Amino acid sequence: MLKSSWQSRLSSSLFVLPYLICFSAFLLFPILYGIYISLHNFELLSTDQQYVGFAHYVKIFTPGTYLNSLFFRGLWATIQFVVYSVPLLIVVGLALALLVHYLPRKIQGLFRTFYFLPYAISASVMTAIWLMMFDTNAGFINSLLMKLKITGIPWLTGQPWSWIALVITTLWWTIGFNMIIFINALNEVPEDHYEAASIDGAGAWKKFAHITLPSIRPIILFIMITSTIASFNIFAQPFLLTRGGPGDSTKVLLMNVLDQAFIRKEVGSASAMAIVMALLIMIVSVVQYRLTYARKE
Amino acid sequence: MRKMKTFWLVLLAVVVAAIFLLPLVWMLSTSFKNDFEALAGQMNFIPSKPTAENYIKGLTGELMNVPITRWIANSVSVGMIGTGIVMLIDSMAAYALARLTDLPFRKTLLSLFIASLMIPGVLTFLPMYMEFNALGLINTYAALILPYSAGAFGVFLLYQFFASFPKEIEEAARMDGANKWQIYARILLPSAVSIMVTLGIFTFMGIYNDFVWPLYATTSPEMRTITAGIAMMAQGSYTQAYGKLMAMTTIATLPVMLIFIFGQRSFVRAITQSGVK
Repeated sequence: MLKSSWQSRLSSSLFVLPYLICFSAFLLFPILYGIYISLHNFELLSTDQQYVGFAHYVKIFTPGTYLNSLFFRGLWATIQFVVYSVPLLIVVGLALALLVHYLPRKIQGLFRTFYFLPYAISASVMTAIWLMMFDTNAGFINSLLMKLKITGIPWLTGQPWSWIALVITTLWWTIGFNMIIFINALNEVPEDHYEAASIDGAGAWKKFAHITLPSIRPIILFIMITSTIASFNIFAQPFLLTRGGPGDSTKVLLMNVLDQAFIRKEVGSASAMAIVMALLIMIVSVVQYRLTYARKE
Repeated sequence: MRKMKTFWLVLLAVVVAAIFLLPLVWMLSTSFKNDFEALAGQMNFIPSKPTAENYIKGLTGELMNVPITRWIANSVSVGMIGTGIVMLIDSMAAYALARLTDLPFRKTLLSLFIASLMIPGVLTFLPMYMEFNALGLINTYAALILPYSAGAFGVFLLYQFFASFPKEIEEAARMDGANKWQIYARILLPSAVSIMVTLGIFTFMGIYNDFVWPLYATTSPEMRTITAGIAMMAQGSYTQAYGKLMAMTTIATLPVMLIFIFGQRSFVRAITQSGVK
């Protein structure tokens, strides 16, 4: 057995110390500092700070205040995006995984790479590409639709087109991640279950509904949770593609938080908004985890 | 019958692949078009008058006052230094958490690190900015690197690996008089090369591709990373200068695309091993 002198405990601690310092300085401290900031009238680039207690939080939840409308209008846009994107992120991800899964083994890797490739690029590059693709006058998509006699769809400046554009870009960019996880899950469904079903004369659809789906249910729930969190954090796509428009319709919560901090320079109330948003995300994920857990029992 | 089914499946796969690759091919094609042709609304993949002008202007700094090579250099060096730090401190911490049973507060620290994986970025973004601002570190390389060192993903990934490492080898080394540092550096690290590569690829791509933090944490053109720089271009006066914009995005995409294609197996492993079971 390891002798546990204080020297030994000290030398063991030294291994954790470098990471612990980074963790404390750039994760733990910011969280606490954020709470402190949210309790003050705190201006960006100014040393003036005045303690206001929970005033910012109260305002967020008081109908009629500016903060209230800023927060809940942003939240509404975010929730809309979650509702539009998450079902597709699950269904399309699973569909692509099934497609790759049933391809001849030799070419599976190739097509997996094709579908996963967009995931490798940066959000800013991704949005720049789709800014061009969705351009109303010169964009590839509208040029293509012109051939079908459909003209001038305002992808980034009109509704419902803007939501559709944001969902399409998100699917293109991130669906590979979900697909990879689904492919992995499909590979782990025991082959003999299918064979037994074949002997019983089950068709492809029956096998999918009665064997595949129940076997991968935990993974579907996992994807649902991670996709919901990711969609809740939506920022880059509306920030760079629609710039929150048309009007404020795609101005999501995270954009409002950053505007409040960096444009109106009110970091105190912006931090309060950020904390309420973070709590919401964590509550949603805990609830979904609980549901997953409850169903497993 | 079976052959026929396979044919239709492959055909479908090819069509879907074309849809996925089309924006990337179009990006490459547009980057060789002049401003007029890039805005003409045509669908020609081969430019009628191919030009390298967009690339030359970007590389000589004519577009954004700073040569784009500077942005690439910033991104690559920030990514490499950040990745190096993460690999070193995460592996040390994971080793201690997994193998050194006399580490004080071992269980508490482990739960704390794992719980931190649930923290959404929005919670730390603003205070992190205020922290670096108070320290006078906005617009420095420190600001571009240090925030990435706090993530617990690597600790978690390596902890799982080190925890399943056979005890006997470690015991034998201790019998031979090896100390903790020697066991870490000479036995555990060499056995963890492939998982370390996985972590390295994952971390580098994460830092290289992030654009929101560098966009706010830098103020002068020469400190921008390539992704933040492109976001500035796309938001500013180059919104519709697609030829120039696409030349820059093509340059920005090449390094990560290469790493991604060659390291894909590793990347997939990081995704599938980190908690999905």
